[in-house]
Amino acid sequence: MAEQKPEFLRFTGHRHFAQRLVLSTLSGRPVHISKIRSTSATHPGLAPHEISLLRLIEAVTNGSAIDVSYSGTTVVYQPGLITGTVAGAGASVGDIVEHSLPANCNRGVTYFLMPLALLAPFSKAHVNVRFSGPGVITAATHVTGDVSVDTFRTAVLPLYALFGIPPTRIELRVLARSCAGPGGRGGGGVVELRFASQVRLPKTLHVNRRPGRIRRIRGVAYCTGVSASHNNRMIHAARAVLNALVSDIHVAAQYDPSPLVATDKNAPGKKRKLGIGFGLSLVAESSAQGVLYAADEVAPPEGGVVPEDVGARCAYQLLELISQGGCVTSTASSTVLTLMAMGSEDVGRLRLGRNVVGRDETIALARDLKTFGASSWGVRDIDDDDTGDVIVSVKGTGVGNVGRKVA
Amino acid sequence: AKMLHGKRQPYRAVDLARFMYDNSLSAKEALQKWRGEDEEEIEEDIEKEEDDTFFRRVGKEGDDDASEDRYIPKFDYEALARKWSTKDAIEALRTKFSTANLVDE
Repeated sequence: MAEQKPEFLRFTGHRHFAQRLVLSTLSGRPVHISKIRSTSATHPGLAPHEISLLRLIEAVTNGSAIDVSYSGTTVVYQPGLITGTVAGAGASVGDIVEHSLPANCNRGVTYFLMPLALLAPFSKAHVNVRFSGPGVITAATHVTGDVSVDTFRTAVLPLYALFGIPPTRIELRVLARSCAGPGGRGGGGVVELRFASQVRLPKTLHVNRRPGRIRRIRGVAYCTGVSASHNNRMIHAARAVLNALVSDIHVAAQYDPSPLVATDKNAPGKKRKLGIGFGLSLVAESSAQGVLYAADEVAPPEGGVVPEDVGARCAYQLLELISQGGCVTSTASSTVLTLMAMGSEDVGRLRLGRNVVGRDETIALARDLKTFGASSWGVRDIDDDDTGDVIVSVKGTGVGNVGRKVA
Repeated sequence: AKMLHGKRQPYRAVDLARFMYDNSLSAKEALQKWRGEDEEEIEEDIEKEEDDTFFRRVGKEGDDDASEDRYIPKFDYEALARKWSTKDAIEALRTKFSTANLVDE
């Protein structure tokens, strides 16, 4: 570093935690986040999933310094180099970093996959991480609103192709599936992300034309530990809603027995079934390249919902997201906008629906990016049709991969 | 004419760019302003807050604290089901699908 004492960027609050850590790591600027749930009487400080995310980032970087205060309400993070999976440093079994999630984690595994996938293109070596342990939820989560791994694989990873990162070099293996356990906590899934595509600079993105027309709908219905007929019931209900609009609907059915997880460390033989549930992930593909709309719905961990309702809700959610318009949905917009900001020094354009831009997450991302030294977004209306979409132009910072190799 | 000019047109991109980087507004307030949702109401709220005691403010912050980062937006599914079970809504959306009748356009 050029300066002796780097200047900390200061943030408050627990919102956008993952996003700020990613931006900090990519831009190489240390952050100081305070007042993390400091007003909460029951759970002050960092939540289990946030601690876990810090550990994950520590595992794929070299030279990161993380300092959590005694109460957990303040974090100081000094980013290191993104090394990826290097044998001998972090990688325990073969060429893969094993990351275990704790049993009290209530976020889906995509909460960790999204930031990891943002760091991976800029890594020095390949990024291979296997998530295991009693906290891996591969399904969507009802309470915390994480998407399922199926949506991540079919609707977020393909978007990396637009940036010159071939999806064939990215592999997401779901070795064991699991829904959220009782109280929305814990699972028992195993997921492996192999990101073998490292780029110097993401390409400048121009997705500012019409979003095309929806040609087909694909999806995955999954159920773990419940009757396999739930899949068909969900698919049937979703089709009933969508058949009026598209005829080309294919939904795969995935049935797995629920994973057995050891409950007690002292009695390894004692195991119980965890992560029983079912859900549906639907992806609508448009005729324009790279335009995907994804919807996700899952049964709540306490049950009490019939599969027909889950299927129909997922279909309704998909219709609502399509009607919001734009080329990227709210699920993927933060990923796309971040990659655009990290791209080469050129202006990329992205067409977004009005209600996708008008979310406080998007506004917060814009502000955070500016704090981290990226230039402001340009925002303008689309004049040539009446959809009310907005074009956001993002200038890349050109940090690419080289900037971060200087530690 | 006065009616037209009195109230600013909501959802203008120019306004958004201005509100987005105005750090004196929270993200939520910026959006409310952009949508043109009753600004008078917000101002009223501020006055109330000043009158009120310490406790209410804690409650408000707690509200913000309870919200977590979500990837799936929250929906009111009953409202959605009502909206998308009407034929008009489906027909209005049809232009976004390849089954749309292109001749009529």
